[in-house]
Amino acid sequence: MRTFLRDAMLAGIVLALSALLPSIASAQSVDEIISRGKLVVAIDTTTPPYGFLDANLKPTGFDIEVANKMGEALGVPVEFVTVTSPGRIPALLTKQVDAVISIFSITPARAIQIDYSIPYAGQSAVVIAPKSTSIKGVADLVGKKVGLTRGTGEDGLLTKAAEANPGIEILRFDDYSSLLQAMVSGQIDAMGGGDYGEIYLKKAGNGDAFEQKYVLKTFYFGIGVAKGNDNLRQWVNTWLFTMKADGTLDALSMKYRNQPLPVLPVF
Amino acid sequence: MQTALQFGPILVHLDLLLRGLEKSIQLAALSILFGTAIGVLGAVGRSFGPRFLSWPIAAYVEMIRNTPLLIQLYFVFFSLPLFGFKLSSNTAAVVALSIHLGAYATEILRAGIEAIPEGQIEAAKSLGLSRYRIIRHVVLVPAARAVYPSLSAQFILQIMGTSIVGAIAAEELTAVANNLVMQTFRSFEVYIVIAIIYFVLVQAASLFFAGIGKLMFRWKV
Repeated sequence: MRTFLRDAMLAGIVLALSALLPSIASAQSVDEIISRGKLVVAIDTTTPPYGFLDANLKPTGFDIEVANKMGEALGVPVEFVTVTSPGRIPALLTKQVDAVISIFSITPARAIQIDYSIPYAGQSAVVIAPKSTSIKGVADLVGKKVGLTRGTGEDGLLTKAAEANPGIEILRFDDYSSLLQAMVSGQIDAMGGGDYGEIYLKKAGNGDAFEQKYVLKTFYFGIGVAKGNDNLRQWVNTWLFTMKADGTLDALSMKYRNQPLPVLPVF
Repeated sequence: MQTALQFGPILVHLDLLLRGLEKSIQLAALSILFGTAIGVLGAVGRSFGPRFLSWPIAAYVEMIRNTPLLIQLYFVFFSLPLFGFKLSSNTAAVVALSIHLGAYATEILRAGIEAIPEGQIEAAKSLGLSRYRIIRHVVLVPAARAVYPSLSAQFILQIMGTSIVGAIAAEELTAVANNLVMQTFRSFEVYIVIAIIYFVLVQAASLFFAGIGKLMFRWKV
């Protein structure tokens, strides 16, 4: 709710400011994008492995490759506009971009202001623990030390679980690397984290001894387009369908997340 | 834009903050106790002990005083398990804080011991006092009295030092405050509230240490 309010507030401010701006980049239809000769996409380069800067400071990552493939499919080059997470909705409201491809979780609150495509990716908050322990659900965490990073989605989910199931000891760390260190050194019995956490545990040393135990919650990412731009949204949905069907998205997920995508429901 | 300070959302969680404060006081008290004990042993060992004892103590003091407390915390919590010593967050915090204070207390007390005039010890010897009684009554107690102000300043620093042990998931006052920031997004208000709590705590501790000093070192010189 709070993020919604913040989004809405920012959107209001940016909308008011945008009245002063002359240039309007966003296209009202697929035809317009093609005739203009470029696709303008909002990305975030601070969200590895989805969007980040490579050694040459060029944007790269899962989302960036998806954007490039979208441009390829339309036959036009892609122009990137870098936004921060709260700047994603305003970028659409002010018509600065045609689409937002930036781990844009689908929520009803956001969908009031913008339209979403069907999910093209997803990520789960999961519980990770040593292979030797048997953890199938919350009940198995009772009597165990569970680590997490302060203030993350996992924090909210596992703190609630611990309140409902006395005996789960929660240890909150300031950052992800401390959390991983605690897991590797055996100071915690299990940890909550993103579903790509194993990649980093493998890097941290004896990561092969850890595995995902169960999913806390899955977030689905959609491509955001301006409210009411059904022409573009319908094309994006169709294109995403083909990308899913031919395995392109899963291949990208293997490349950047070291695992296939979760099952992506459609709407 | 809402810019006015709102303390309501924080004050409803005052019980959490007070529980954090309790943990902070506990960590500080235990580590001051153990750290001072280490300091007394270290200072005596370094000043009066044989070489095989005084050199390792000197190495310990240098090692601790030349590395940050945060690194020492990480070492005790994350690295010791690799050698088979797995300590809980709280125990690891007390161990690291005690070792940390121990090094400083060793040096502070040693400074006091060095300042005892040689003649005072010789006088005690000529009176036939045992070595133990000389060290205890003729050297250590006057030395402690002389350096008590700087020792209690170090204790105060120790209390404030507990604010970083949230890094190893010990839920002291600052860690609880950071949890609250993440829940309420009212960082400014949260930090104002804990700054006031710390201020009151440290003021109270200063008075307490001053009182202890008056009680312990009552006699006139």
